[in-house]
Amino acid sequence: MSEEPGQRKQAPKKQRGSTEAVEQALLRDKKSYWPFALAVALFITLLGVVTHPIVFGVGLALIAAAIIGWGLEHR
Amino acid sequence: MATRTITEGVGIARRRRLEETYVGEWLMTTDHKKIGIMYITTAFFFFLAGGVEALLVRTQLAVPNGKVLTPEIYNQVFTMHGTTMIFLFVMPMLTGLGNYVVPMMIGARDMAFPRMNAFGFWVVLFGGLFLTSSFLFGAAPNAGWFSYAPLTEQTQICGPTAVVCTPGANMDFWALGILMLGISSIAASINFVVTILKLRAPGMTINRMPMFTWMTLVTAFLLLFALPSVTAASILLLLDRHLGTHFFQAGFGGDPLLWQHLFWSFGHPEVYILILPAFGIISEVLPVFSRKPLFGYTFIAWSGVAIGFLSFTVWAHHMFAVGLPLVAQAFFATSTTLIAIPTAVKIFNWVATVYGGKISFKAPMLFALGFIAMFLIGGLNGIALAVVPFDYQVTDTYFVVSHLHYVLFGGTAFGVFAGLYYWLPKMTGKLFNERLAQVHFWLMLIGVNLTFFPMHILGLLGMPRRIYTYPDNLGWNELNLMATIGAFIIAISIMVFLWNFVIALRSGQAAGTDPWDAYTLEWDTDTPPKPYNFPVVPIVRSRRPFYDKKNPEIADWKSVTH
Repeated sequence: MSEEPGQRKQAPKKQRGSTEAVEQALLRDKKSYWPFALAVALFITLLGVVTHPIVFGVGLALIAAAIIGWGLEHR
Repeated sequence: MATRTITEGVGIARRRRLEETYVGEWLMTTDHKKIGIMYITTAFFFFLAGGVEALLVRTQLAVPNGKVLTPEIYNQVFTMHGTTMIFLFVMPMLTGLGNYVVPMMIGARDMAFPRMNAFGFWVVLFGGLFLTSSFLFGAAPNAGWFSYAPLTEQTQICGPTAVVCTPGANMDFWALGILMLGISSIAASINFVVTILKLRAPGMTINRMPMFTWMTLVTAFLLLFALPSVTAASILLLLDRHLGTHFFQAGFGGDPLLWQHLFWSFGHPEVYILILPAFGIISEVLPVFSRKPLFGYTFIAWSGVAIGFLSFTVWAHHMFAVGLPLVAQAFFATSTTLIAIPTAVKIFNWVATVYGGKISFKAPMLFALGFIAMFLIGGLNGIALAVVPFDYQVTDTYFVVSHLHYVLFGGTAFGVFAGLYYWLPKMTGKLFNERLAQVHFWLMLIGVNLTFFPMHILGLLGMPRRIYTYPDNLGWNELNLMATIGAFIIAISIMVFLWNFVIALRSGQAAGTDPWDAYTLEWDTDTPPKPYNFPVVPIVRSRRPFYDKKNPEIADWKSVTH
């Protein structure tokens, strides 16, 4: 039987409580690239302070985007 | 049909998402252990960079009238050496070890704020790259790691030839870089405080916490209270340089001493920020390799707290020569001497821990014992510097350089290597070659003393720190050459460590979960540990929970109440 798009496959019951299941439960949704993105944005902003106002402006925009992205991230 | 086949093929071999790739896994991780490893790797990279800068400085000073570097490059190199070693090696290294070890030590599954933890690391990396990129612009910071105003001002006139002090972007890189690294330190500190206070395993009372966790907690509080002053100072400096304010310019009603007060009210607690976690590492290593519990646990823990408090009362001992009022000199001399008491308490307790123990001279223990000996020298010559008339004589000479390197290299770096040899087997699953580790230790011990001991005498002979070169008739020649030879011996010892690390990764003996028969919870995990650390959160009943688990008949909680 084919699976509907977007339908989640349920884990077999025997896996519940096993080490892997604990691992999955603990780690689900914890990964994020926003901390990295915000640090890069900060780096570009500071580089803009010592090089060119346009770089500074781009950095500020990226900081705003990263903060918004981080804030709206699904957890 | 063909179209359908291709579609199905694409469906099966879909492109992996970023988080599923090896690089993506590290970029997006919020696991405290991976972040810890990234901190340690980054810190070690900057340690090598700072080491190359140190070798350049020592090569320049090896013989009189040296011309290896130009004066301007020399200024940049020694400034970046200090800045790199303090802000980009020691601080991230200790944060990295704390990140990896502390949650496991207290029975937690991660830090309290995993994303903020990741952010703290990435800011360190990019802050370090920002500072180091200043070399590419030909404008690396060049006014010493404590960046005294008004030398760092853009519009002030400096020196008898009336040159503008620092017109380029050099000090902008420094001030902005310190601001950025400060953000990281604040993030890490808040995380450590909340993690340690809120995520301890059941039964892990404050009074049962491992000593490395204790010292990390004290350090985190120190950072939270010390960083604001250097942050404020950096912002004021940037305002002076770019927006026409005059906070540090005496000619316009400002006060250059304000910089020194603001900087050192951060800078002296900073010394303890750099050394307290090393105290913690030593307090973990000595008991395990002496097969005894830590002697005087309570005294060691609370002397760390006392050092933390006192560290905020000693900053002006860096400023005796500026003409402080007598009462201020007396106060700061007394408080500086006072701080020797809790420090000595620790040393006596470490000696008592080792005394009568079944000592195993493995690499972590060698570095821990080396730490005690070297730090003792750095502590004693530090007390000499607290004596105001003596400080007048040697202030800003190589005596001070010798003191700070005995504390930060003889002390902290030895502590860091003790920690690396102790915990890297847990991180990598491989044991180091013990013989190479011993070669590393002895070379480093010889190198440190050959480099930094002659600097005491150079200071007493009047050699100023940061001097570009010197004539050949001052009696400094042989001592400087000795120091340079010592620096290269240290460099060789670091190469031996790196070689040992590579060998261990390639063909090292498997470490197992508990290679040292240790006492604390981080060893009660897989090697390398699973992402969640503990399948079942442990219950703690004494200060040595893993020892209790391995020795249920003679468990500490059966005989000791704490």
